[in-house]
Order: sequence, then C-alpha cells, then structure tokens
Amino acid sequence: MVGLKKHNFTKFFILIGVLSFFYLPILSLMIFSFNDSRSLTSWSGFSLQWYQALFENREMMTAITTTITIALVSTFVATVMGTLAAIGISKSRRLIKELVLSVNNFPILNPEIVTAIGLMLLYSSLNIEKGFMTMLLAHIIFSTPYVILSVLPRLRRLDPDIAEAALDLGATPLQALWKVIVPMITPGIISGALIAFTMSFDDFVISYFVSGNGVKNISILVYTMSKRINPTINALSTILVVIITIVLLVVNLYPYITKKEIKEAE
Amino acid sequence: MKGYASLVKPYILWMSLFIVVPMLLIVLYAFTEHGNALMAFRFTLDNFMRFFDPVFIKVLFKSLEVAIITTVLCIIIGYPIAYIISNTSERTQTLLILLITLPMWINMLVRTYAWISILSDGGILNSIFEFFGLAPIKMMYTDFAVMLGMVYNFLPFMIISIYTVLAKLDRALIHASHDLGANPIQTFLRIVLPLSMPGVISGITLVFLPAVSTFVIPKFLGGGQYMLIGNLIENQFITVGEWNFGSAISLIMAVIIMGSMILTRKIDRDASDTASVEGGKLW
Amino acid sequence: MRKLIEFQNIVKSFNDSLVLKGINLSIHENEFVTLLGPSGCGKTTLLRILGGFISQNEGHVYFDDIEISNVPPYKREINTVFQRYALFPHMNVFDNVAFGLRIKKQDKNTIEQKVKKMLKLVNLEGYEDRPVTLLSGGQQQRVAIARALVNEPMVLLLDEPLGALDLKLRKEMQIELKKIQQEVGITFIYVTHDQEEALTMSDTIVVMNAGEIQQIGTPTDIYNEPENRFVADFIGESNILEGVMLEDYKVKFDDQVFECIDYGFEDNLEVDIVLRPEDIDIVPIEMGRIKGVIKSSLFKGVHFEVVVETPYREWIIHTTDKVEVDKEVGLHFFPEDIHIMYKMGTY
Repeated sequence: MVGLKKHNFTKFFILIGVLSFFYLPILSLMIFSFNDSRSLTSWSGFSLQWYQALFENREMMTAITTTITIALVSTFVATVMGTLAAIGISKSRRLIKELVLSVNNFPILNPEIVTAIGLMLLYSSLNIEKGFMTMLLAHIIFSTPYVILSVLPRLRRLDPDIAEAALDLGATPLQALWKVIVPMITPGIISGALIAFTMSFDDFVISYFVSGNGVKNISILVYTMSKRINPTINALSTILVVIITIVLLVVNLYPYITKKEIKEAE
Repeated sequence: MKGYASLVKPYILWMSLFIVVPMLLIVLYAFTEHGNALMAFRFTLDNFMRFFDPVFIKVLFKSLEVAIITTVLCIIIGYPIAYIISNTSERTQTLLILLITLPMWINMLVRTYAWISILSDGGILNSIFEFFGLAPIKMMYTDFAVMLGMVYNFLPFMIISIYTVLAKLDRALIHASHDLGANPIQTFLRIVLPLSMPGVISGITLVFLPAVSTFVIPKFLGGGQYMLIGNLIENQFITVGEWNFGSAISLIMAVIIMGSMILTRKIDRDASDTASVEGGKLW
Repeated sequence: MRKLIEFQNIVKSFNDSLVLKGINLSIHENEFVTLLGPSGCGKTTLLRILGGFISQNEGHVYFDDIEISNVPPYKREINTVFQRYALFPHMNVFDNVAFGLRIKKQDKNTIEQKVKKMLKLVNLEGYEDRPVTLLSGGQQQRVAIARALVNEPMVLLLDEPLGALDLKLRKEMQIELKKIQQEVGITFIYVTHDQEEALTMSDTIVVMNAGEIQQIGTPTDIYNEPENRFVADFIGESNILEGVMLEDYKVKFDDQVFECIDYGFEDNLEVDIVLRPEDIDIVPIEMGRIKGVIKSSLFKGVHFEVVVETPYREWIIHTTDKVEVDKEVGLHFFPEDIHIMYKMGTY
C-alpha cells in the first residue's frame, strides 16, 4: 500500500531489536559454556572442560536421564489416556461433556503452583512417599488435559456416522476405533503428545513440589544449583538448545520439503 | 456411536481423584488448624486472618504491581511486534513466529539464569558500560531485573496471541475502511484495534497468570530477600512447613486471579457489546 | 454524457504472470458498466486498481481528467461493495453505514438522517441496531450497498456482489440494484462472470478475457453482434462455425453458399459465424436450407433444446414446438440471423 515502504526500515529495526532481546541471553549462555575459566562474564579462552565436567557429573547425568524417562513415559500414558477420554467426551451427553471439560480446564487455568501444592497435599494425605513415581504421576496428571484439548477439535470435525459406517461393514467397536477413528484424529494426537512432552520436559514448579528423596529433573537441578553457579549448566543448556533447534527446524521444514517433493512428482 | 461414551468413565474417576480431590484438600487445609496428620481437622479462619498482616498484604500488592506492570509492558511491546509480523509476507511470518517461539522451548529456568550473567555487577552489560566510560549500575536484585525477567519469559505468549488474531483479520475489512475514507491511523483505531481485542485479552491471561504466581524469576533475579506471593507460598510449603497457611494464601491468590480474569473479560465485553455476540464465531 | 474515468494502457502482473495486458477504457457519468469475463480474466484486478487497493505496473488512471494512480484509496471519491461484503463485525448496522460519515466528521443529526434514508433505500428500515453478523446474506449485501452509497460517491464499484447469494435472491437483487442505480444517478462499475446478470443490468458491457478487452457495447450489441468467437461463446448459447466470406453479402459454410447482410470483409476471408439457437427454425425437410436428423430434444421449461445432426455438425436449436427424435427435418434461418465475425487475432 501507499506510503508503507518508508516505514520498512523502522519495522526491520524493531524486529531486530526484539529478536536480539530474545536471543542475546541464550547466545551469551552458549558462548560462556566454552569459557576456559569459571567466570560467566569475562572470557578467558576456549575450552571444552565444562562439557567434560558435565558428562563426569553423576548428579547431572541422573537428572538428564530422569527428565527424559519421565517425559517419554508420561507423554505416552497421557496421550493414550487423553485420546480415549477425548473420544469418550465427544460421544457423551452435553451435561457430562461440559462438566468434564470444566474440571479438565482446572489445571490449565490454575497457576502451576496451585496444582503443585494440591498434588503435594494429596500425596501426603495418602501417605505416599515422594520420589520418582510421584513425579511421574504428577506429570501424567497435568499433561493429560492438554492432550484432551488438542484431540477434541479433531473429533468435532469428524463425521458422526463414520464409526457406524465401520461397524456396519463388520468391524468390531475396537477395530472401528483403531482403524477408523484414531487415524483420522492423528494430527490432534500428535500435537497433543508434543505439548505433553515439552510440558513435562520443561516442568519445574510441579516437579519441585512433588518429588523428594533426591530425585531431580534438569529444572530442579538448575534451581538448586543457582546458588553455586558454574558453567556446566551452560554446557547442558547449550546441548539442549542445539537439540531443540535441530528438532524444531526438522519439524518446521519437513512440510516444505515434502510439499516440494509432491509438486515435483506431479 | 454411543458405546464409546463409556470411555469417559475412567477419566472421570481419574479426574476426581487427581484434580478435584487436590483442590478440595487445599480448601480443607486453608480452613483448618495445623497438624499434618489426617483426620484431625478443626475449622478455623485463622489462616486467612493471619494473611491480613501488613507484611503479607504488602507482598500481595507487590505481586499484583509487578504482574500488572509486566502485563502492560508486554502489551506495549508485544502489540507493535505482532502487528508488524502480521503485515509481512506469509513466508516471513512463519519464520518470525518460529524465531519468537523457539526460545520458549528452552527451559525457563535456564533462560532466566542466563540473565544473571548479563545483569550482575561485573556482568556483560556493566562491562559494556565500563567500556564506554559509564559508571556501573546495580541491576541484579532490583524490581527492574525481576520485571525484565518476566517480560523476557512471557512476552512471546503476548506476541503469539495477538498475532494469531491479527493474522486471521480479513484484509477486506481494512480495504473497506480505506474505501470509506479512513486513513491508516483511523483504520487502525476503529477497525484493527477493536477487532484484535480478543487476542489482547487472551494475551493478558497468558501473561498475568504466570506473572502473579511465579517464584522462580523473583528468586533468581530478585534475590533471596525478594518476596512475591509465589515465594511466600513456596516458603510455607518447602521451608517453614506451614501447610495450612500456605493453602490459605494459595486460595486467596487463586480467587484474585479468577476475579481479575472475569473482570478483564467483562470490560472487553462492555467495550464492544455487539462484537461479543458473534465473538465465538469470528475467532 | 461526460467522461468520468479513463484507463490508459493499464498493465499489471502478479509474480511474472501478466493479468492485464494494456487496458484502455472510458467510463461515463451515470453509466452502469459491467466488466464481464471468466474468472482470472483480470476484471477484479482492474476494479481494485480503480479502488486504489493495488497499483498498476504501467499506464494511467484518470478520474475527472486528473491522474489518480498515486492517490490512496481513502482519498478517492469512489466506494466499493466488496465480494464478501467486508462488513465490520464489531459494529451494528447503523454504525457500519455511518462509518464513512463519521470519518468525515459530519454532525450527528446529518449522519442519523442520511443513514436512515439510505437504509430505507435498501429496504432495511428498523435494522439499525442489529449486529451485522446476525443478518442473512441478502441483508448483509444491502448493508454493504448502503454503507458505500451513503458517502455519495461519484462511482460505486461492485465486486461480484451477488456471488454469495442463492439464485432467487440474486434475481431480486439484480432488479433492485438497477433500480437503486437509477435512483441515485451515479456510475456503477459492476464485476461479474455471470453473463445473464450483465445482460439484465448494464448500460454497457465490457467483455474481458485473459487480460484483454474483447468487446465493449450495449447488452443487445454484445448479444446480437459479438465481435469474435470468445464473446459469442461466452454470451448465451451459440452455434459457432467456420466459413469463408466469398464477397460482400455472401458467405460459404458447410459447402453451401448463403446470403447474409454483412459486408466490408476481404473477399475469400476465413471467418467465424454465429447462429443463435433461437434464430433457427425447424421446418419440414423440403423447406429447409440445411437437412438433418433430430438427435435429441430436452425440455428446458420455456423451450425445448433440440440437437439436429447434419453431415457437418450438430446444431443446437431452441424451439417451443415439440419435435420427434430421429425424424429428418430441415433447418431454416434468414440472412439477418447469420452473424459474421473476424477470426480471433486477425482484426
């Protein structure tokens, strides 16, 4: 449109500004993971010693394993449970549907700290000792609602007769579920699983309140280490940043690449 | 297929045990006397009365102040950014949104922690000041640092939520407004801004809620003495062990948050009562 | 009538594809002009250039003899009725219609009067407070027209405004639009791909194809005297055949020589010939100029659509008489029913 061109420079400047704001801290974090000294502010030479220290640090390696294990297991359970629940919800009567959904929204709309102390109180009331299992259970509890919310819209768009068509053609209800319904809502399931995984992987507040006995995920470790900061955290973060960037790039570029291939094939 | 409806039953059981019961426990603890032992409850309002100590009220107001300022800053910074992004080409939009969401995937504690080395007394910013012959500024453990950390962490939510609405805005409406004689500024004020309010509202929810309840950011960037309501709750449960009082504070916080959300939505609805009729269909 | 708008050699391309290939067109005061053509012919692009929403790569647009290419849309004395209406969803009917007047800072009473008058014109009295999103398609359409007309523009642009309505409503709105145009007495520039709509409403039809103007003329001109095969084919159903113009008033096709009323072509020039289905009569075989067999007859409500096969081609004929399939018949037409056109690209 008329007169917009002269503003382009200002726009570009603003965008660069906000992107620097987002990325400079991450960049400095990554740079100082290669620092030769313990300092996080003054550069004294390149070294990989903090990466070595990271891999030799048992506590850190355990935290990484714990984080990944919990993220994978809780994602799997939450995805299966959330998908089945969503199918159930979509076929339920209106009243039940609304009731279940409003309870389901609680952990999403409540501050994390409230969910966290609620679970903490529950565990202690039931005399369950806090540890790995309580953390895992908590992660399943808080990520399932997100899976449900991401699967439901897909189900809503589903032709209501589709399952009946399958049954009519001789499929058992289980076969109809597995061979007809699930494939059609797969995009919703996948995005739900992705949300569940990242929620679990990054979680601090809830894990912090419901774990004990020295069970720590990466977030808890960073929190407890904040008093005795050293660049191993930088090294760990750098590795995470690189992995996440690669994964995101692949996920986001994949559609472009496949689309291109389809076009070329045509 | 009605048969599948029974799939909801196990989840109702699960929800009751792991979502409803914990909430009820918080309420129970908030209204009862101490003693972590089960089955020894005595109703009391002491936990709430205790909160009306000037020390705690001050913490509450401080939390609200910090959260409100953070939210306002996020709108002021986030809206223009979202607006600029929504006006670029489709490819650029995808790229910019990816760039803005990417940091959100990095552990929040790690991102906040990164600011320590930038803001600390001998940190990167002060080194730069020194290089230009400026006096060092104390930034760590100040309100500035805490709010900076919050804006840093929550700004992407605001940008994305405003952007989503702006990107869906029908270009024909802007053309129509120009066609009827409104210049770009009038068009922005009369058409774009009111129609993007739902994005701003959901952005406020996404920023205010975590900002008012966080305890990590104040602890990292505000220091051990910096007390917001989240820190207060954490202390009651982790350090002091006063679960009843902690539950009461959480309950008060939850009520305040819910109240402010309802208020925000109401203000939005009053401001544009015709839009809200169809609001659901539009977005 | 005074010339109001002039397009001079307008060229426009999007991503290397040429959408307008040098359009020259004049539009007059008080005229109902229709830009007619298949989708992708460039008609909407031309309209948007006039509205100021996109700018041309080459050429000039004059409005009242003033070049307006660099005038932003909000400063043009032109208003548009958009394809999907583009009503402001956060405003009610009144506020939508009043929008332009409020921008011009007219006083409250004037605005109220003008809006009321305009809503009356489009038959929407009493709808002032309705949210526009709760109106039916036809009502939204009327609001869009009122919102544009209330500004008293010199020109109203309408971009396929009836496309989203069902057939019956479309017919009603056609008549109503024409009535409104005559009442307010301003220029309407109407874009459509529907030839019937164009024939019903327009004073002037501009037939476009592939970024070029094919013919400009009144509805009767366009229908009866199509300038080329494209126009003949696009407007109404036709029998289009190839032939040779032997000399003035003599044309040869299907190995027969026919008398016609066209002249001024080169002798022995290859031409395209149009015979409208309703101009051909089915007669007893001995009275026909061409002989054939009836292949099919379909009842179309008002007439039968009959297909007659001859050794050369199949003819489409519209008749109100019922005919027997497989019967041998003759076809008859008068010299004035034969319409000769230059082949495309040779004129």
